[in-house]
Amino acid sequence: MTTPAPAEQAAPAFSDRLKGLRIQEYGLAAVVVLLFVAGSILKPETFPTLDNVRNMLTQASVVGVLAIGMTFVIATAGIDLSVGSIVAAAGVFGGILIGDGTSSLVFILGAIAFATFLGTVNATAVAYARIVPFIATLAMFSIARGLALLLNDKLPVSLLDLNGGSFGDPRPFSLLWFGNGRIFGIPVSVYVFVAITIAGWIVLNRTRYGRYVVAVGGNREAARIAGVPVRRIIFSVYVLSGLLAGVATVLLCARLGSASPVSGNLYELDAIGAVVIGGTSLAGGRATIVGTFLGVLTFALIFSLMTQLNLSTEVQQVTKGLIVLGAVLLQRSDSRY
Amino acid sequence: MKRVLEIRNLVKEFPGVKALQGVDLDVLEAEVHCLLGANGAGKSTLIKCVSGVLEPTSGEILFQGEPLPPGDPAGRLKRGIATIYQELDLVPDLSVAESVFLAHEPRRWPLLDLDKMYRESAALLARLGHESIPVRAKVGQLRPAAQQIVSIARALSGNVRLLIMDEPSAILDEGEIKTLFEVVRRLTAEGVGVIYISHRLDEIRRIGDRVTVLADGRTTGTGLPATTPTDQLVQLMVGRKVEQLYPERLVGTDRVLLEVRDARRLPAVRGVSLKVHAGEIVGLGGLVGSGRTELLRLVYGLDQPEAGEFLVEGKLLRSNRPGHAIRRGLGLAPEDRKSQALVLDWSETKNVTIADLNRFSRVLLDVRNERATAHEQLRSLNTVPDDPDRVVRLLSGGNQQKVVLARWLLHQCRVLLLDEPTRGVDIATKAEIYRIISDLAKSGLGVLVVSSELEELVGICTRILVMRDGEIVAELDGKDATEHELLRHAVAPSDAPELAEEVV
Amino acid sequence: MSRKRLIIWIVAASLLAIGTTACSIGGGDEVTKTVTVSGTTSSGTSSGKTVKIIASVPPTDHGWLGAISKDAKAAANQHDDVDFELLQAADADSQAQQIEQAISQKPDVLVVLPQDGAALTPVAQKAERAGIPVVNIDRLFTAPDAATATVLGDNYQIGVLAANYIADELKCKGNVVEIQGLAGISVTTDRTKGFTDTLKKKCPGGGIKIVASQPGDFNPDKGLTVMENILQAQSDIDAVYTHDDDMAQGVVQAIRNANRDDEMFLTGVGGSQDAMKQIEEGGLYRATFLYNPNMAATAVNMARLIALGEGLSELVPPEVPRQLVVPAAVVTKDNVKEYEKYAFN
Repeated sequence: MTTPAPAEQAAPAFSDRLKGLRIQEYGLAAVVVLLFVAGSILKPETFPTLDNVRNMLTQASVVGVLAIGMTFVIATAGIDLSVGSIVAAAGVFGGILIGDGTSSLVFILGAIAFATFLGTVNATAVAYARIVPFIATLAMFSIARGLALLLNDKLPVSLLDLNGGSFGDPRPFSLLWFGNGRIFGIPVSVYVFVAITIAGWIVLNRTRYGRYVVAVGGNREAARIAGVPVRRIIFSVYVLSGLLAGVATVLLCARLGSASPVSGNLYELDAIGAVVIGGTSLAGGRATIVGTFLGVLTFALIFSLMTQLNLSTEVQQVTKGLIVLGAVLLQRSDSRY
Repeated sequence: MKRVLEIRNLVKEFPGVKALQGVDLDVLEAEVHCLLGANGAGKSTLIKCVSGVLEPTSGEILFQGEPLPPGDPAGRLKRGIATIYQELDLVPDLSVAESVFLAHEPRRWPLLDLDKMYRESAALLARLGHESIPVRAKVGQLRPAAQQIVSIARALSGNVRLLIMDEPSAILDEGEIKTLFEVVRRLTAEGVGVIYISHRLDEIRRIGDRVTVLADGRTTGTGLPATTPTDQLVQLMVGRKVEQLYPERLVGTDRVLLEVRDARRLPAVRGVSLKVHAGEIVGLGGLVGSGRTELLRLVYGLDQPEAGEFLVEGKLLRSNRPGHAIRRGLGLAPEDRKSQALVLDWSETKNVTIADLNRFSRVLLDVRNERATAHEQLRSLNTVPDDPDRVVRLLSGGNQQKVVLARWLLHQCRVLLLDEPTRGVDIATKAEIYRIISDLAKSGLGVLVVSSELEELVGICTRILVMRDGEIVAELDGKDATEHELLRHAVAPSDAPELAEEVV
Repeated sequence: MSRKRLIIWIVAASLLAIGTTACSIGGGDEVTKTVTVSGTTSSGTSSGKTVKIIASVPPTDHGWLGAISKDAKAAANQHDDVDFELLQAADADSQAQQIEQAISQKPDVLVVLPQDGAALTPVAQKAERAGIPVVNIDRLFTAPDAATATVLGDNYQIGVLAANYIADELKCKGNVVEIQGLAGISVTTDRTKGFTDTLKKKCPGGGIKIVASQPGDFNPDKGLTVMENILQAQSDIDAVYTHDDDMAQGVVQAIRNANRDDEMFLTGVGGSQDAMKQIEEGGLYRATFLYNPNMAATAVNMARLIALGEGLSELVPPEVPRQLVVPAAVVTKDNVKEYEKYAFN
């Protein structure tokens, strides 16, 4: 016998069905709600306010965009450790590109192009040179950070000139508008994050490409035999990850008003963490954008809550770790390695 | 003759399911007792109760006259009960000796006594007649048949009195099966009792002493002699008469769908030419290692040929990518469906549609249409359950194979390449699959099927090509061929002619 | 491997080990702990006039550290008789390894800014024992025999100066937020302790409350997000005490984004160009405490003197002092022009 005796007479347990993946998502949604409730109880005047929600969503946007890209990479059973460094490098690159000019468009396109280029290097290393993703992107993690420091001699690049030298009231579609501008009271970066999340969901779940991505992670050999262009798919997800890192750069530099070579530090870990607690499997084959979105929110909530409670770093680190463990255990019913 | 194992009214319930509803079985010393049953009948549950992996809900198990305490699978080996699972539970990176003694290594405290390990494992292998297996070699480098011997040696290392073998012949070819039977006979000569599970009725006749049949968690017949006629056994298994295992033989047309000209890829394929016509089922027989699977891989584009041409419906197949082959109308059901054909965590729907997503998407996937179409396809093949959302991992082997076939039906391919399509599939589902293949060929497809079950090839094929050492050495008409003849061609002439005598 | 071969290998290895240690012991000349006027020349230099200085600094992930490297190199270039080499390490462990290798190159002096003072104390002691004097910058080693001379910024004093400034400006009444640097290192603990101790002394009534204290990791984007959250939690902030000018840029952004720059003022540490500019313009950024990276230049100069066996002529007798604490200065709008030339960027 090759399989366990299927309980064909019995009603399948809830976790048997594909909807089991939804259980994880429900579990994480519960965690998000719990955290919000906890925050509202602990800091009733300042936590459950519109302003604070706006704040948390904005903070979530940068890592959130990275996490969407990371979802695709992890779905193929790969990993990208370099996104944080790429964020820094792309920002500095965009900064030197504009030089003394004031064109936001040049910065935005330049940063995204450079980030995509670095992503393509990763893609080539993994898909064609057959280097293990962990190693290839670890190398880029180092290289990109070095580039970020090299390109402007370790200095940050001020971008305030892109709005006439100061901060207030940025022009629509100028760089700083992406950081501080608002449409109907909601920050532009949140729109960008949500738009990318929706687009990511559609691509992953409702296009051939998305299906192929998950197939490659689920069973590479079977995907190949079913006619999926495996190598091209693997190549594409790293390029995508780079591109989204470029978008994240734009959002971050827009808020900071400068491109700093030391920014993006360890963002990849937050992105990976969000993806994993969201329910996407590190072994590939199972991916959920909704889960990633909730995972990003979870981390944003934890950070905001702990900072507002003014917990010391030590306590913060322990608490964060415990919450992550808790979130994962809540989803255990369906996890397989 | 003493009874080494007695099972009385064994019941095992899971939440919502009664897997075993009162099973009786007894195994004598030195006998080979075969266990027969369709998938889902409860064979593996029964075995797991005996080997301690599961605890029975009620009933008795007596081992050598003493009640067997439930649970404790690790301790079973010491008691003398050993189980060889179909998916051998060996660690590829360990050496043979380490595997044989895993979890009960000889020690010269506090270190392992390596010398003793090597010596004793070599001795055990010799007892099985396989002293040629090097004890230091890594298990992962051995052929499946040799790995199986290592598993058996491991069983011996615990001084086994009862050996349970779960479909051991599934991964073996004819020659290896004969060797296995010799090993089993050696063991029974030492008084070991053997429970032998298999789907292959001819094996039961060859090696078994008695047979027990399970159906729906109950014993429908026990202690029957191994010579019980097939019909009777099948009826006990399925509860009804299976009209005919094999469908009516097809004749085939003149239209050539697939042509292979002098395909070559050393060392496995050394110049093979063949034709498959619409409406026919062409079998590829031969021993393991004769190059049949490699040939299919060449046709389908998984491997690059060193020479040769492949034509589908008269047009040359140029590139070596599966995507291209699929577009031109080829479909492949690979040998190991779990690791090569299916994404186990996916639903039935997704596994069915993966090769033909174009059909459901212009820009976006029409998920509803996809699900409905797949559902229809699954239903037409009588897949159980035909639930389009069911995760494929949970299906039985036979139904998993139907999902794979549904994939190619959906795609309306022209030529089906099947590699061991009924491996690990129970009798009733096998019959269904034969019928599906036959219907497909009747509707105009060409089918090329690789199989190690000679009976199967003789049963369904229009023509049978026999491969040996990378070449086609014989072509037999399906009508007239016998297993004996097939085997004769498959085996090199210098090899023992008595090998051919073994076949019933 | 047979027994016999094993023995031979062990013997060969031991001989090799003994040989190397013997060489290194024999090589070093007098170990100079204190330098006296009698001017014992340094060891091993061929011409007797060129001084070889090897400097080891942590990875430059921050403007201040970058300035350290630049200032050290510039100081070395000022002297014709100095052969200078700068090593940059990735972390405490690799810095220790680098210093070990440097020891075997037998320089005249080592100048070290350790990534972590405690972790690198053993290797510094090793250098001293091998006869190579060590000059310690900024982050202190934890044993007195680990360095011949130390050049420090006074982190505790920075905290003191900041507390005095803020207390004066607020007249001992108000809410203060502290954005620290990297949690856990001596620099941070000193800056915090100086601050809190002084506040207690200066405003005994407890009029000044520290309503939030979070680490910003010396990183502007961390400073940004941390401050954003604190701004959410605190509706009334009067002053922000940050540990670092670079990091403070992010903090400033957060305050501006929230349109609360009129509500409070901010102080930094380090003396970066950006900070100086903003102090000059006036407004949110009121002061910074100079913790000048050109203490590296001081260290190099002192190192040279040690190697040449000379001392500061102002001291009687002329010596190189064992510890030099570089004062921190308060830089505000009033005196920013003077300090501009020392700013780093």
